[in-house]
Amino acid sequence: MREPNAIDFWRGLALVTIFINHIPGNTFERYTYSQYGISDAAELFVFLAGWSIGIATRGRDGRPEPRLKTVLRLLSRTIEVYRAQITIMALALAIIAGTALVLDNPLLLEWHNAGGFFADPIQSMVGVVLLTHQLGFFNILPLYVVLIGIAPVFVLVARVSRLAALALSFGLYAASLVFEWNLPSWPGEGGWFFDPLCWQLLLVLGFVGEDLNRRSPGLRAKSKRLVPLGIAIVATGVVLAVFEIRPDPLLVPEPRLFFAFDKTYLTPARLIHFLGVLLAFQTLYAVLAPRLGPVTGYLAGLGRNSLAVFSIGSLLSLAAQLVRFRTGGGVFVDISVVGSGLIALGFTAWFVEWRSRKPRPSSPQA
Amino acid sequence: MALPQAAALLAASLTLAVSAAAALADPPAAASRGPGASGLTGPATVVSPPKTTPSGSEALDVSLSPECRVPGSKLYTLARLGAVKLALKEKRPVRVLTVGGSSAGLGASATYPVKLETALERSLPNVDVVVESRGMQGEIASGAAERLRNMVAELEPDLVIWQVGTHDALARVDADVFATALAETVQWIKGHEIDVVLVNPVYTASLADDEYYTSLVRKVQEVAEHEGVPLVQRYEAMRYLSGLSQKGEGHLLGSQFRLNELGLRCMAEHVTRAITLSLLQADPGAPLAPVIVPPRDAAAKAASPPPSILVRPGD
Repeated sequence: MREPNAIDFWRGLALVTIFINHIPGNTFERYTYSQYGISDAAELFVFLAGWSIGIATRGRDGRPEPRLKTVLRLLSRTIEVYRAQITIMALALAIIAGTALVLDNPLLLEWHNAGGFFADPIQSMVGVVLLTHQLGFFNILPLYVVLIGIAPVFVLVARVSRLAALALSFGLYAASLVFEWNLPSWPGEGGWFFDPLCWQLLLVLGFVGEDLNRRSPGLRAKSKRLVPLGIAIVATGVVLAVFEIRPDPLLVPEPRLFFAFDKTYLTPARLIHFLGVLLAFQTLYAVLAPRLGPVTGYLAGLGRNSLAVFSIGSLLSLAAQLVRFRTGGGVFVDISVVGSGLIALGFTAWFVEWRSRKPRPSSPQA
Repeated sequence: MALPQAAALLAASLTLAVSAAAALADPPAAASRGPGASGLTGPATVVSPPKTTPSGSEALDVSLSPECRVPGSKLYTLARLGAVKLALKEKRPVRVLTVGGSSAGLGASATYPVKLETALERSLPNVDVVVESRGMQGEIASGAAERLRNMVAELEPDLVIWQVGTHDALARVDADVFATALAETVQWIKGHEIDVVLVNPVYTASLADDEYYTSLVRKVQEVAEHEGVPLVQRYEAMRYLSGLSQKGEGHLLGSQFRLNELGLRCMAEHVTRAITLSLLQADPGAPLAPVIVPPRDAAAKAASPPPSILVRPGD
């Protein structure tokens, strides 16, 4: 188990933010940073995933591991994430259906995109397995599967030339914005909630960023000088979010997606805002970590076990939504569901680490 | 940019809410029912008994399939659909975007969008209707309104058919906050010369006494009236249909689900009916006036020569 570090800490914070934001309407929603900017925790999560790939595919001395090993490592991670997605989708659909039955309330079947599944299970079951049928709030892991699945291409290209990897990634991003490319939803119409062709840019930026950060102390010093720029961007984001100022998507010039604020396509405004957040908060961990006491350890623990914590968190926020709906919500219910959820997330992280320690006792096996 | 509008709108919708609440002839709240009524006795006490001669109160709309027949006043409120009329006049295909809820499908052979397209093309002969459907996640009061705008910008339809309210109800979003956000979005769509038809959420006996839920359903109606857009009263229609299908199944697990399936099956028909009748609306007249449902033969007559419904004296 590694010591708390900035990456795990921020990833833990992103996980907590996503958990709370996935219980819409709850009291604590307004205290998450997602409400005060153009980008949100999803950007942070994907960027840090790229950063982690950078760490994971190198030895402690910073030398890249063999190429085949990298490809297999990423393939194995892709399978893990896919397995997690299929599992939580099955559980989520059963939780929705079971609650609807017990409460005799078919309204619940129309829960964020679940209606399609229950109306047409024959096609939708195939769609679930293909990741083209996604429930609302359960659409980050499908993005992840695709991103980690295609990551070997970028990682291997970046070993030859970081610039080439960036150019490839940015080219795909820009083309997807111009031509509105997205992976299809099926059954039904439209595209994925998170367009992997656009969001891959954040993963690659995270990966290349880790590389540059490690190699070049000069660049680190330069980026520290950009903290004021980051703060200016964050402040602008707060103003835009609080006053709900955003371009009218029917009035923006072509190509439309370069100017609109659109989460699906990670449009430039969101990207710029997120980079501003990075610049503004790059040094904050060193300041916060010693002062937050056990909170630092808690968040870093969540971040170290992000897949398990994210999966359990998704199911807990669904359960919390149903509890809020059934009880009518209110501050007391919100404190209960969010509080017990945060405890359960902490337990999940602890349990995963306990389990991975457990089967390897130093004593000889019987 | 959005703030002053929102404030003005809030004021407007508040005054409207007061007047509309007073004026509403048929609020969906069912006060006379005991708590926990499981649907066996519940709906029948609310809805005027349909098995007796329907001519007594109001005629059923016989242009609908037998199992979907509902009196017009329980089915829709009508308003002008300028953009669709324009598309018809210019003899170009009518582009329709359906959003939300269970629009994704219903059985492998007849998804809701396909059914809607077929039904619309049947009632508007010689007109090409292209239906695009999109699922929707999130609440109107938070991110979903923004996503809808992006969807509309992407597809630039003539008409948006919007099943609205379910997710906000599930999140127990404050009804006034919901209404404000909904009105703002409807105004935005209309402001870009695109028509909107709202569809309110489902009726289910387990929520018939839920004051919050019925108030949210009422908000959709109020916004539709205030903004002058047609409303398909899925809630009222299903409540009416629930009174017809009392087969003593109340004790079964999930007995409400049959009604839900029927509601879904009828939705394409109900939406189509509201649209075709809205297209008959005279232009300059008050869009909010209570609508006289044309008898079947009049509707059929008007619908048979396709262009004539579009160029009426009022145009």
